[in-house]
Order: sequence, then C-alpha cells, then structure tokens
Amino acid sequence: MRRIIIDADKCKGCKNCSMACIKAHKSSDATLAFADPQFESRNTILLNGEKKYKPLFCRHCDKPACATACMSGAMIKDPKTGHVIYDRDKCATCFMCVMSCPFGVLKPDRMTNTYVVKCDFCAEHGSEPSCVKLCPTKAITAKEVK
Amino acid sequence: MTQRFSCSTCKSADKVLEQFISDLPMETSFHRVESQEVKCEFGLEGVCCRLCANGPCRITPDSPKGICGANADTMVTRNFLRAVSAGSGCYIHIVENTARNLKNAALAKDTLKGTKALERLCDMFGISGGDVYSKAIKVADAVLIDLYKPDFEKMDLTKKLAYPPRYKRWEELGILPGGAKSEVFSGTVKSSTNLNSDPVDMLLHCLRLGISTGLYGLTLTNLLNDVMLGEPEIRQAPVGLRVINPEYINIMITGHQHSMIAYLQDRLGDEDVIQKARAVGAKGFKLVGCTCVGQDLQLRGSHYTNVFDGHGGNNFTSEIILSTGAIDAVITDFNCTLPGIEPICEALQIKQVCIDAVAKKANATLIDFSFDVRKATSENILDEVVAAYKIRRGIVPLRVLPDHGNDTTLTGISEVSLKAFLGDTWQPLIALIADGSIKGLAAVVGCSNLTAGGHDVLTVEMTKALIAKDILVLSAGCSSGGLENCGLMSPEAAELAGPKLKAVCQQLGIPPVLNFGPCLAIGRLEIVAMEIAEALGVDIPQLPLVLSAPQWLEEQALADGAFGLALGLPLHLGLPPFVTGSPIAVQVLCEDMKTLTGGHVLINGDAEESAVLLEDIILQKRRDLNLA
Repeated sequence: MRRIIIDADKCKGCKNCSMACIKAHKSSDATLAFADPQFESRNTILLNGEKKYKPLFCRHCDKPACATACMSGAMIKDPKTGHVIYDRDKCATCFMCVMSCPFGVLKPDRMTNTYVVKCDFCAEHGSEPSCVKLCPTKAITAKEVK
Repeated sequence: MTQRFSCSTCKSADKVLEQFISDLPMETSFHRVESQEVKCEFGLEGVCCRLCANGPCRITPDSPKGICGANADTMVTRNFLRAVSAGSGCYIHIVENTARNLKNAALAKDTLKGTKALERLCDMFGISGGDVYSKAIKVADAVLIDLYKPDFEKMDLTKKLAYPPRYKRWEELGILPGGAKSEVFSGTVKSSTNLNSDPVDMLLHCLRLGISTGLYGLTLTNLLNDVMLGEPEIRQAPVGLRVINPEYINIMITGHQHSMIAYLQDRLGDEDVIQKARAVGAKGFKLVGCTCVGQDLQLRGSHYTNVFDGHGGNNFTSEIILSTGAIDAVITDFNCTLPGIEPICEALQIKQVCIDAVAKKANATLIDFSFDVRKATSENILDEVVAAYKIRRGIVPLRVLPDHGNDTTLTGISEVSLKAFLGDTWQPLIALIADGSIKGLAAVVGCSNLTAGGHDVLTVEMTKALIAKDILVLSAGCSSGGLENCGLMSPEAAELAGPKLKAVCQQLGIPPVLNFGPCLAIGRLEIVAMEIAEALGVDIPQLPLVLSAPQWLEEQALADGAFGLALGLPLHLGLPPFVTGSPIAVQVLCEDMKTLTGGHVLINGDAEESAVLLEDIILQKRRDLNLA
C-alpha cells in the first residue's frame, strides 16, 4: 500500500501542498479564489514548538482511530489500498472521527459544518496525490510501504 | 457584553494596549498574525523569482538555478535591489513634495516659521542675498534640481551635506549618486528580467540609493519642513491613546508628509473653523498623531498646542486608535497606512480622506493636495469631516482608554535643540562618552512589526537591555512610537538605566532614550553623528555608535539601512531582509562591507543577545579610540 511520507526537515512552508489539494478537490466549474472560504485543503503546515515547519497530512493509519470511532460506517479502512476512505453519504455528522484523530488532521467543513474534510489520496486523480506532485523540495513523497 | 473578535492576538510590549486589543470586537493586524504564522521559506530567503513567465522559479538543492540560469545570488540581490529602489522612491517622493511645498509657500509669501533653519540651509548650500522668500525659493530649487538630474550627473548637494571623509570614501567606491529619482529608475531597470546578474554591482547600487535616500529623503526633508513648520523645541508632551479627547472632532493623520497638512493644521485653530465644530456640538478640532507624520507633529508640537494634543501611537497602533470610535476622520498623506484600517473605518463610519494619490485607500475620498487650491480643498475636507462627525457621534460606541500612555514623554529633540540644550556644543556629551558615563550611543530606529516577538517587543526589550548597559539610545521612527508609549522616553525611565547613565539622566533631567520623532529624523541622527565625529576629528565608523532597526518592516526601512551601511555603521536587524539564500549577499553585507564602507549587517532576534553584540562593538570602538 502507498502512503504519503513526510520529511519535515525538507519542508519550506511554501504551502504548495495546500494549494494543490484545494485545486484537486474543487468542482470543475468552480472558479478558484484562494480567499474563498468554500475551498479547503485537506493538509496544512503548522509550526512546532521550535518554530520549525510541521506538515500535517492524513497518515491513513494502520489502525485508524477515526474509523474505529465511526459508528455509521462512513469512515473505513480499505483493505486493498490501505487508504482510510470517507463516505459523506453515510456520515452522521457526529465528528467522533475529528475528536479521535491523534494527529488533529481531520476537521468539519468550514461552510456547513456537516461533513468531514479528509484526504482521499486523490482517488479522482489516479490515486497520485496532487500535494506530492507539487512539493518543490520532496518533503512529502508517496511511497509503497508494508 | 461585547464579544471579542478572537482569543489569540499578537503580543505587544505595551501591555495595556495588548489587553485592549485582545478585548476588541473587531479584527486588527494583531488578530491576523497567527493565521499568517507559516511563512514560505523561499520568500524568507529571497530565492523565489517571478520576474518572467518561466517563473516563479525557486532555488532548492535539486534546482539550484532558475530556468534562465539565475542562481541564488542573482535572485536575492535582484529582489533586494528592487526593494531598496522602491523604498528610496518613497522617500524621494516625500522630499520632492516637501521641496515643492516650500517653494510654493515662499512664492505665496506664507509665513515661514523656521527662519533659523532657513539660514542654516543657506549656509550649507552657499546661498546668500535676498529676503527669506527668495532664499527659500533658491533652497527649494537647489534640492529639486538635484532630484531631477539624470543618473549620469552627480547631485551637487551631496558634497555639501555629507561628512567629507565619507564623501571621499563614496567617491573612491564609485557610489556617489546621480539624480535621486533617476537612481530609483536605474535600480528598477537593473533588477528587471535578464539584465544585471552581478550581485556585487547590485549591492553597490543599493549603497548609492542609500546615500541619496539618506541625504535627500531623510536629512533634507527634516530641514525643509523645519523652515515651513517651525523647528523642534524640547518639551514634555502626552502620548498614547490618552491624547484622544472625545469632546472634540478628532482627525487622525497617517503618513510622512507634514507640509501637506500645514495649511489645514493652521486652519483648525481659526475661530471660524472652531465655530463649525461648535455648531455640531464639539469643542473644536484636534489632530491625533499616528505613524511618522504624527511623530513629526509631536516634534514641532510647541508651535500649535491648540490643535495637537499628542501622538497616539505607531504604524500598528493605527487600527487601535480608530477602534476607540472617537476618531471622526483619517487624513492620509502617505504610508504607513494599513489596509486594515478600511473595514474599521467602514464599521465605525469614520471618514477616510487621502491627500496624495500614491496612498489612495480603497474606501477613501481622494482630495489630491495641490498648493494652488489648498484653501478650497482644506475647506472641503473640513466640511467632509464635520459631516462625518454629525452622522456618527452618538451612534458609534466609544472605547476610549484615558489611562494609556503617559504625559511625560520628552519630545522636540533634534540635532539643533539637543545641541542647544547641551550649551550649543557637543562637548558635554563627548566628555560623558569619553569618561565612560555614557558607554556609547545606539540609534534604535525604523518601524514596528508584529513578527519580531510581537508589536514593539524586540525594540523595547533590546532598548531596555542597552540602557541597562549605560548605552544612551536615540530613536527615530515608529520605534519611538513604541518606546514612548512604554514610558522609556520619560525622565522617570532613568531608573531602568545602568548606574552611570542613570546618574547622567537624573542630573540633566532627561530620559535614557531620546526621541527624535519620525523615521525621517534618522537624517537628524546622521547630523548628530557627523558633528560629533567632526568635533573628535574622526570618521563616523570610528564612533562608539551603533545603528539598529530591530523591527524593520518595509522597503523604506531597507533604503534607510543602506544609508546606515554607506555611513559605515554596524547595522543590527531583528529579522533578515530576505537575503539569507545568497551566500554572496550575506558575505558582502555582513563581512566585506567592513572593508568597503566600514559598516556591516548583524542579525539577531533576541533582545539580550542583540544588546550584548552591540555593546561588544561599542567597547571595541572605544578601545580603538583609546577610551577606557
């Protein structure tokens, strides 16, 4: 299975990953405006206690706390790809996944507060993460892991 | 109960202000710092280039050159030169308007309040004969002629203004500036797409811009303004949000071009204008100082105490002053006018007027200043302000802060008033430095920003550390806005100084941090340095004097910094000026500059460490001068 591997030391905080994520997940007819709150990135870059860049991406965990906490079956671990997949139609909006994510990467959507904004490994783009493609320093890479 | 806008606001050295901001129900710059916390390192290091359609190109180990072949050194110095050129352009715009205003005022035979200042300029320029008006016209023309020269013709006044050993060094280095406006033009051309790629040549151009910015944009602007508006006189004055009196129609001013509001300022005290205010229920009009033009008003405040109570605060205090609700209009003549004031003005129905198109704000009415029609436009502005007062007062909530700031800030300090205070000679100061009562001088200048520890945090903390080491601090710029609101420019601040400096301050009744006013007054500090060097028979780099812009903010500050380097001063910055991606730029600015001009850049964001570094430099310079 493939995962996004983070090398925080290489991150330069340029936020290309966030821009790429927004672009990859916007509907094709929407005009992109970065200040428009409807556009949300599934990843982010924070600063750690030492003011170093801390890229925050969904790990698609082996034992995903979000999927364990999900009571409606909206959040499941796909045994074939290893990706943790979210089905908005099944979501009961309890946000237990948000509460239980140990990395704090999951969040309710900004506009309606009714669904979860979650990395889907760019399923609609051939499962080649757009963020990885646009990272200029290879701080994030998609790698096959066991 | 009103709701706070946000729980996380940026820190300020000014704790009363910090608390006030955190309780505000509206967004300010202090609220936006956190959301902009993650900075792009390519930008920080200056290695992002978007000068052509192949870009933006960024330097990484895997892509060490842009598509065009530009390496990190070219990219960084090109970006840096663009910034210094723009910063210089801002100051040259100011001195150009100031000289034009002086000429027009003289042609119109307006009262010139600073005839001594005029005589001084005439002596400097070698102008004699005629009455004050013809002299003023000749002075203004001499400045304008220089400003408008092409870049291949050197400016004449440079030699008359500069300290001779400095002039000689600049001549040797080939960095004497041509026409100041043309030098900005050349800097812009040089740094355009696929032109200059020589990092050293571009850095030398920055020095040339530094000289024209410093001598003309800074020094001369002060002196020309002194002629029109009166010379600074030392006195104590109130500072901080306490200066806002809601019983008056209050006009906050932002910018750098004091002479543009001179007529309006005088009108505010006229009986017929006061009657306009009384007719709508106010006691009269007051100007509330903000940013550097406010500092300039405060500096010359003894000439118009009836319409100016004091300085409210620096660049990042502007949104806060407006949020009190007690300001009825903002008049903007230049930067530093934050776009962040616009939604606050809109929400609180504060009238925005811009009097110089270069600083046209989106919501503002542009009433472009023109000397010929200044009377009509001033009446027009006054009517707009009165109309705003009538609409908004009574319905807009007031959040005044009468306890903020202090009444005891020592102001009105200039190269002339300070020397006069010392008995028309620098000898007392030189003697105090020589016997070690004052270890040295630190010019803490420039802006405030919100990223070097928070609003004024590094400036105030480092200044406290410097005075504790018996180093006398001189300040000019928004740095002084922060330092005065935090009480360091009041005589009582002597308690915070080291034992020797404290004794000096108490004996003379002065604070350990001297307030020269606006950033333009960095030019006054240069005159102080020059005259002390002259009295000692040494060059400026030999003085136990350091320059620091701990919280530099903008391109203008970079042009000021280039002036400091041309003067041969050690220049401390709290944050690097987007050059660290270039090994050559770092080498030239931090090391090689020592052999070029005698100056160098040092960067440190820690207050105590910075003070120690600056003290070490001062101690070394003392040893080199054989002072104990």
